[in-house]
Amino acid sequence: MNAITSYAHIKHNTVTVNGTVVFKSASSVSIHEFLLESYKFLAMNYPKFHKMDVQCKLAIIATEFALRETALLTENDLAKIAIVFSNHASSLDTDKAYQNSISDKSNYFPSPAIFVYTLPNITIGELAIRHKITGENAFFVCEKFDPALLINYCESLYLNGIDAVIAGWVEAETNNDEAFIFLSESQRNTNKNAIFKPLNQTTLTELYNLT
Amino acid sequence: MSQKVYITGLGMISAIGNNVPECFLSLSQSKTGIGKIQYLTTRYKDEFLAGEIKLSNAELADLVGDQNPALNRNSYIAMLAAKEAVLNSGIDTKDGLRTGVISSTTVAGMSKTELYYKDLFKNDEHLDVLDTHDCGDSTERIADYIGNVDYVTTISTACSSAANAIMLGCRMIKHGHLDRVVVGGVDALSKFTFNGFNTLMILDREWCRPFDENRKGLNLGEGAAFVVIEGENALNHRKGKALAELIGYANTNDAYHLTASSPEGFGATLAIQQALALSGLKPTDIDYINMHGTGTPNNDLSESKATVAVFGNQVPKFSSTKAFTGHTLAAAASIEAVISVLSLQNSMIFPNLNFNTPIAETGLIPETTLVHTPLNVILSNSFGFGGNCSSLLFKKA
Repeated sequence: MNAITSYAHIKHNTVTVNGTVVFKSASSVSIHEFLLESYKFLAMNYPKFHKMDVQCKLAIIATEFALRETALLTENDLAKIAIVFSNHASSLDTDKAYQNSISDKSNYFPSPAIFVYTLPNITIGELAIRHKITGENAFFVCEKFDPALLINYCESLYLNGIDAVIAGWVEAETNNDEAFIFLSESQRNTNKNAIFKPLNQTTLTELYNLT
Repeated sequence: MSQKVYITGLGMISAIGNNVPECFLSLSQSKTGIGKIQYLTTRYKDEFLAGEIKLSNAELADLVGDQNPALNRNSYIAMLAAKEAVLNSGIDTKDGLRTGVISSTTVAGMSKTELYYKDLFKNDEHLDVLDTHDCGDSTERIADYIGNVDYVTTISTACSSAANAIMLGCRMIKHGHLDRVVVGGVDALSKFTFNGFNTLMILDREWCRPFDENRKGLNLGEGAAFVVIEGENALNHRKGKALAELIGYANTNDAYHLTASSPEGFGATLAIQQALALSGLKPTDIDYINMHGTGTPNNDLSESKATVAVFGNQVPKFSSTKAFTGHTLAAAASIEAVISVLSLQNSMIFPNLNFNTPIAETGLIPETTLVHTPLNVILSNSFGFGGNCSSLLFKKA
């Protein structure tokens, strides 16, 4: 049976994993500092992290927290792991940064390092590169967190031969940054910390609203 | 076994024509739509060529028949192409069957937002423009324009977006969620896009030369294309006519680099192989490949290598049609889906323009003139930033 095996929710400088707060920064701390503190807390060694935009960092950190509670990466074929993300405003946070760099004739400084992040699915690209995941991937732009959309897509992926899915909502938005990442797998994994919740809309809605 | 899915309607607006018959005429006359920039206001007007739709925003508004001042170029062209596809298919969205709209875009309303960007910080005069900025806006407008739509969603996965919209639509029919779906993509040109691609240094200042050893980069284009896909049950129910069958699709991630394909075309190879596996066909069953072929040094070499990896020394006839339309980003895969169906219907391979010298490393030679030949199965590739790789397979109906 397909199950949700772990999830992580980042909101208001707080990381909740499988229902428990595992890391927190003071609310006065900026999102950049919070993400850096999370990176250090996780003792990650991934220099590429530091060049990413906020949305990618949110996704990388939230997924990292969730992955540590499962054996998803080691017990599934990397070509059969899918990534499905969604949000409301695509890549708006970085779009604004890039627009600011080209909209003023006297202060024109377009940078390829920023432009790269003006697509929402770059978030998926960063995650795929980080973990060498080569399965199917999709990014949906929708009004709000949509459990039906994500559950339907996961089910469709499982019907098409995918073994595990990293899915959720990730949005960089000033003072309202959020990442909700859930992992789902088609078979029980051996990590004792993994949870086994049914992969359905009711459960997903509950987990999302819990924190 | 799940039901078959057919393409039953085509709609397209691009640099080579404002509708499918016009686009077909340009393709069959080897007439490119790429030229000097006439409509977009940009500092790069005289520096780069572009595949622009040859209509002003006012002319587009007239064609659509909606003078709402907040509407943007993205919505206009999406509405026109989607409407053409629906009319072409002959479906009646009021007949009680379930209809979906799955669209895709990367820049969304940027072409208009960027004009008022600085003013928006000063006053609220152009605030309504922001209502139409989001990626989902043009999709909602297509749905309203068509009417009686049961499901709407928007995908944004860079230059393979429309392929993924087509794939999702097909699955939703196969899994019984919908009876038919209007699927495709749209991207209007914006200064934002020009600046960005120039920053990445992957634009050619002359006409792009896909698969040529001396290619320098891509030409940006704009466009919208939609196809109506229907399950065989819905199609038989209304006694409609199939234009082609969608027999295979796959999406993978190259997991290599954010804006470049892996040198060996790893993700592309996987996508082509998985699409073939789903269709149950062998590589030798493919009659023609409509390549992604953007004209960038990186893409064309990587795609050539993936092609060799899958087809060995029996590479089918192939061409890239980007030198007609320019690279239309989120719309590219649906524009090329329409072109693939036109190829199947008319037994024609449209040429890879501007090609002279094969890439030394692979030696692959595309079709450079219009070829009349019976075609049964066509493979169409689309690859995007973020490592997103998609392949689609179309079969003659």
